[in-house]
Amino acid sequence: MAGVEEVGTGAVGVPSSGNTISTVLVVIAMQAEAMPLVQTLQLTEEDEPSVFPKAVPWKKYSGTHEGLSVHIVVPGKDFHLGVDSVGTVPVSMLTYASIVSLHPDLIINAGTAGGFQSKGAAIGDVFVATHFANHDRRIPVPVFDEYGIGTLGATPIPNLVKALALKEGKMSTGNSLDMTPEDEEIIKANDATIKDMEGAAVAYVADLFTVPLIALKAVTDIVDGSKPTVEEFLENMSTAAAALSAMVPRVLKYVSGKKIADL
Amino acid sequence: MEGTQEVKDGAGRESSAGDAISTVLLVFAMQAEAMPLVQTLNLTEDDEPSIFPKALPWKKYSGTHEGLTVHVVVPGKDLKLGVDSVGTVPVSMLTYASIVSLHPDLIINAGTAGGFRAKGAAIGDVFVATQFANHDRRIPVPVFDEYGIGTLAATPIPNLVKALELKEGKLSTGNSLDMTPQDEEIIKANDATIKDMEGAAVAYVANLLAVPLIAMKAVTDIVDGDKPTVEEFLGNMSRAAAALSATIPRVLEYVNAKSISNL
Repeated sequence: MAGVEEVGTGAVGVPSSGNTISTVLVVIAMQAEAMPLVQTLQLTEEDEPSVFPKAVPWKKYSGTHEGLSVHIVVPGKDFHLGVDSVGTVPVSMLTYASIVSLHPDLIINAGTAGGFQSKGAAIGDVFVATHFANHDRRIPVPVFDEYGIGTLGATPIPNLVKALALKEGKMSTGNSLDMTPEDEEIIKANDATIKDMEGAAVAYVADLFTVPLIALKAVTDIVDGSKPTVEEFLENMSTAAAALSAMVPRVLKYVSGKKIADL
Repeated sequence: MEGTQEVKDGAGRESSAGDAISTVLLVFAMQAEAMPLVQTLNLTEDDEPSIFPKALPWKKYSGTHEGLTVHVVVPGKDLKLGVDSVGTVPVSMLTYASIVSLHPDLIINAGTAGGFRAKGAAIGDVFVATQFANHDRRIPVPVFDEYGIGTLAATPIPNLVKALELKEGKLSTGNSLDMTPQDEEIIKANDATIKDMEGAAVAYVANLLAVPLIAMKAVTDIVDGDKPTVEEFLGNMSRAAAALSATIPRVLEYVNAKSISNL
């Protein structure tokens, strides 16, 4: 049973160390987070044939970059309400459908997150998640409790982190933008530096299919700071999206033609 | 966008209103909830070819009942921890994959739930959900807040409810078995009679893909009662599963060859 210590066996994506990375799937929750990167990479949206059922609002932007086949997918705007389909349910389905259709060698979950200044996070930082966990799935029954937290180790990428001078930290996921005292307690137990709304779900799906996963999160707000979350988040969204659209191409360039085990 | 007055209809009524129901997909979260029914209906597990990717723990049991094609699907046991893969993420993916492969005319999400005695729930009751909502997706940003709650109306089935003398009530979903003060506040705002861990996610997927949905939940514990949830839930699980395996065949017999609009 893989706990946090056993990062090797609990890590997402058993290194298929023989495979050179050639197809990368980038999963992004919000269109505003994705579009700067889509533009930078000059990816095009596909109309026909779509890999997704007609009914869903999910979008795929594809192209090549540095010799890689790159697909960016977003869950799109909610049909009833018009806002991005954020959160674990739409993004896990999107990730599932993308894996089965596109067979990526690597998944990058890119997006924004809250950061804890007591754990060294600052606005604008781009963090690589070392671990994923949930903080809003409390099931106080033996073993189910661990399942609810759902801790997973990220695919180790020490060389990439060093080469790109990225910060690293544990990530905790919940479907709420705010944080109750119960959430906070569990986030602390998860030892998280950053807090988002999808990462652990993407990690769950990637792990089911043993596809390696890198999660890159730009910090938009300081959770343990004095400013209200929503205000900070909205203020810093575009700065964070810009940071991602600068960082993700560097990551793609680094991984291109390498094997997972070399990262 | 309007508030709760204009609750969006359960998926697909208009489009499939005239079609006779011939394929029913039953989505359960827990094997223990599903197996009594699988046995009652004499369904068989698929080995080859499986419609689900090999890597996954999901299971499908299929057969015919009174001329209907019936599929029971469960997310199965977590590969690391061995407990049922409960909660919105696994079950939404399972529902998505099942819809795209099996093209059901009707989905039944069957399972257990907590009930509020103040709203008329008692242990052993089988409720039909009239409405679905989430209580653990708090996004305090205009419109996103409504998205987080994600209220959806169930497919109206007044004749079925009357014929089978079922109780009806609103369902609120969250990924935790327990209930914080914030959860309770939102559950009350959702006017829920019953509380579960998957329903609103199944409803989201069914709505996305325009498939009619009936949710049937057997009450295992009284949330606003004196007994601790976990104790009551574990104590009443098999009784609830038995209630489901008695009621669902009656539902199948009732819907058989009728059109959705006649239910």
